[in-house]
Amino acid sequence: MTPAGLIGVGVLQALLLLVAAPLFSGFARVLRAKIQNRKGPPVLQNFLDLAKLMKRQEVVSEQAGWVFHAAPYVLMSTMLLVALLLPVLAVQSPLGAAGDLILLIYLFALPRFFLSLAGLDSGSPFGGIGSRRELFISALVEPVLLLVVFVMALLAGSTNLGTISGKVAAGALPPSMAFWLGLAAFAFASFIEMGKLPFDLAEAEQELQEGPLAEYSGRSLAILKWGLYLRQLVLAALFLALFLPFGSMRVLSPAGALLAIAAFLLKAVVFYFIAAVLENAMARIRFMKSPATIWLALGAAVLSFVFYLAHV
Amino acid sequence: MDAIQFIMLSLLLYCCAALVALLGGGGRAARLAAGWVSLLASLAGVVSAAMAFAASDSPTIALLQLPPFGVLALQIDPLSAFFVGLIGLIGAATSLYSMSSPSVSGAVGFFTYSFLAAMLLVVSVNNGFFFLLFWELMTLLSYFLVIWKYQDRESVKTGYLYMLVAHVGAALLLTAFLILYWQTDSFSFRLWHQAWVSPGVKTVVFLLIFVGFGAKAGMAPLHFWAPGTYSAAPDHASALMSAVMKKTAVYGLLRFCVDLLGVSAWWWGFVILLFGVASTVIGAFYALTERDIKRLLAYSSVENVGIILMGVGVGMFGLAVQQPVLATLGLLAALYHLLNHAFFKAMLFLGAGQVIAQTGTQDLNRMGGLARRMPWTALTFLVGALAAAAVPPLNGFVSEWFTYQALFTASAIPFFAMRVFAPLFAVSLALAGALALMVYIKAYGGAFAGPARSQPAAAAQESNSAALFSLFYLSLGCLILGLGAPWVVSWIAGVVSQITHVPAIAVSSGWQVFPADPGQAVFSPLLAALLLIGLLVAPLLIIALYGGFRAGRRSDVEPWACGYGYSSSMSLTASSFDQPVKATFQLLYWLRTRLNKPFQAIAEFSRSTVRQILRAEPAIETIVTRPATRLVESAGQWIQALQMGDIRVYCLYIILTLAVLLFAIFGRSGL
Repeated sequence: MTPAGLIGVGVLQALLLLVAAPLFSGFARVLRAKIQNRKGPPVLQNFLDLAKLMKRQEVVSEQAGWVFHAAPYVLMSTMLLVALLLPVLAVQSPLGAAGDLILLIYLFALPRFFLSLAGLDSGSPFGGIGSRRELFISALVEPVLLLVVFVMALLAGSTNLGTISGKVAAGALPPSMAFWLGLAAFAFASFIEMGKLPFDLAEAEQELQEGPLAEYSGRSLAILKWGLYLRQLVLAALFLALFLPFGSMRVLSPAGALLAIAAFLLKAVVFYFIAAVLENAMARIRFMKSPATIWLALGAAVLSFVFYLAHV
Repeated sequence: MDAIQFIMLSLLLYCCAALVALLGGGGRAARLAAGWVSLLASLAGVVSAAMAFAASDSPTIALLQLPPFGVLALQIDPLSAFFVGLIGLIGAATSLYSMSSPSVSGAVGFFTYSFLAAMLLVVSVNNGFFFLLFWELMTLLSYFLVIWKYQDRESVKTGYLYMLVAHVGAALLLTAFLILYWQTDSFSFRLWHQAWVSPGVKTVVFLLIFVGFGAKAGMAPLHFWAPGTYSAAPDHASALMSAVMKKTAVYGLLRFCVDLLGVSAWWWGFVILLFGVASTVIGAFYALTERDIKRLLAYSSVENVGIILMGVGVGMFGLAVQQPVLATLGLLAALYHLLNHAFFKAMLFLGAGQVIAQTGTQDLNRMGGLARRMPWTALTFLVGALAAAAVPPLNGFVSEWFTYQALFTASAIPFFAMRVFAPLFAVSLALAGALALMVYIKAYGGAFAGPARSQPAAAAQESNSAALFSLFYLSLGCLILGLGAPWVVSWIAGVVSQITHVPAIAVSSGWQVFPADPGQAVFSPLLAALLLIGLLVAPLLIIALYGGFRAGRRSDVEPWACGYGYSSSMSLTASSFDQPVKATFQLLYWLRTRLNKPFQAIAEFSRSTVRQILRAEPAIETIVTRPATRLVESAGQWIQALQMGDIRVYCLYIILTLAVLLFAIFGRSGL
């Protein structure tokens, strides 16, 4: 693929993810309503909410500094960069020149840093507690993500996203126990990071007044919400790109692109559907009980590593 | 002029600065003069390092012949030059900072500048005896900096612990050097390098040296002196000790294990790696629960020393198993992280110093809201915090990325122990990274974000220009080291190849860095940074499309407190921030209090020994001299009774004396 073509693919998929993100969250809302026997909002409700928020005056607490103001923008820009790096539509990373999988995992730390600081910066007690929960959960999940990434990278012989995705797509990595357990652990970890219900602790809507979001309003809240939707979709896309890169383009062509978009949307719908069913089948965990569950994911990741060592 | 003349110039200027500070007393003029001279000295050091890199040989100068111990000579090979450059670069920042800080005058100034000179000597001398001599000098000078508040009992106690650990380390080094002397009949590095030493002796020497330097580097479990020491020392001295002095221990490790002895067994590297991992995780966990900003930074130094040691360990392992790529990657990661850590940690300590100067406390719970009062200090501190939390694309992340790549390469070679452990070590690094993120959110959030939580914090003033200049310089350094990674790493890879004598390996091309093989991974910090900034346009564009900027903004309301009146005491304090971690990993914190006890007991024992010695030494005085004096005194008092102050009594004395004398004379003549 030509560099120009790749950049085109990158821009296309970043736009796709950006536009599709509120849609998928809307889809999850509808699913939840249906499972709870409610009628639920229309799928496009998130867009309407965002549009309304944009036009509202922003009201900010006087404690807040510039970190608070910058956080939503940093979140969205970082997530867009991740969207550019991921092999979503092609089996190659459109911006593979910028970095590899380790960079990608660490890129999630940048908005986390700003968002958690914003929670403290707002001076709101809910913001502070939300940030502390967010960071605690991520400190537990990060080792899981990295171990699985390491196993996948060792299987593929590279930490470059495109290489791993390409090898999995081409069937060059025989599906082994290591692969399947890695898949399970990574799916679990991204489910937690997406802030789905049993782990909906940082931005808990009912008890923490959405944590770090508590003090945001107007256009900042709109951008922040959009950024969080995007983060969810990007996490799903990361999982799909690493473990299920089927249907992605190998050669650049308009038809291939359309096919890849359709394949991605289909995979994402399935992912969100499973996530929604799981989410609504579970009750919320008490915050301090969550580590016990996260150790499970770590256990799966370690097992995957052991199977890799044993060549199973 | 060549490198050696510049380093002599640098030493001379540091000594001048020390004298100016000492003789000038506490005045502002003397402080400025000493600061400028020391700045020049630091620049001379940097120039010297640059010239040494450019030179094809390693320039040497012999200064003094001391027959039993050999020649005092300075030699700047690439390894020395790297550390000479480091001392110069960080020394420049602290010199600038010193000009603004009233505490750096008189004796403190003298010790600071001579401390810099001593460190320069440590990394450039090429004789074991003199190395140890300057090593001790460095420890001693830094000890005086630690006890600068000598009226404070706590800081004297801290200084004592520091001195004790440093001397245990030095005693181990001395033993190692004596063994080498016994083997080679010389203290000269050149002879140590050439001599054949049996593997058994080498192993003993390695272990002694590793523990000796490890104690100085603050490696876990020998790190317990560090937090108190950095907390007690003045800010610029904490910065120097954490950013530079710790690194001289890494220099020692590289000099003796890699350069002079040569790595002879694979487990050497593995042991270092293991201790590195332990330091990384333990440092991160303990940093998180500190509410004293300087102790927090000190524990974070333990973590970063761990990361550096991980690189050194992988590098030494690579050398032992003849994997040149692995060796280069490991040592490259170590030296790169060492440089990065020096910059961001010096930056953080100096920034913390400004905050402490304004708020009058080291307690994060009593700061808050300083970003509005000290915006520029806050900005530079944020850059340092992002770098230290390994957030891409700053320098701290880039060197951690190389550490990950070194571990990845290690886990791919056919060596079972590494295949099993390297990925687990990478996971530990990830855990430490996530904790470090929390640590620095706590540090920045506690000091700069939210409402002011004390009176002085609410009235804080922006730092003065000299301090700000040094903060800007250091944070700019963080940016350059991160975004300019391709140039920095290819230069460090050259240094590594000169140290290890393996051919240089390409680690960068154009904008990209990669771990020897671009197929394994590529990374371009500059491209990532440009994209991150460029993509900020997207949300702005979205808002503009929706017409969102017309709605305006109000920022005069209080945070939402469920309808009650808001009070700044409702905001989360720094010490409640880490509560979930403290609760989940109770065991680790319980262990610390448990494990600290033996060390405290040892320190207490040695302190009481000193007291006993102080009591035993003047035994002669208590048994002989003092009773005698007491006797004379009481006799005097008894005689005093004669002295009544009445003239008639005195006349009586005279008459009596005359009578006695007359009686004696006439009595003898037989009248």
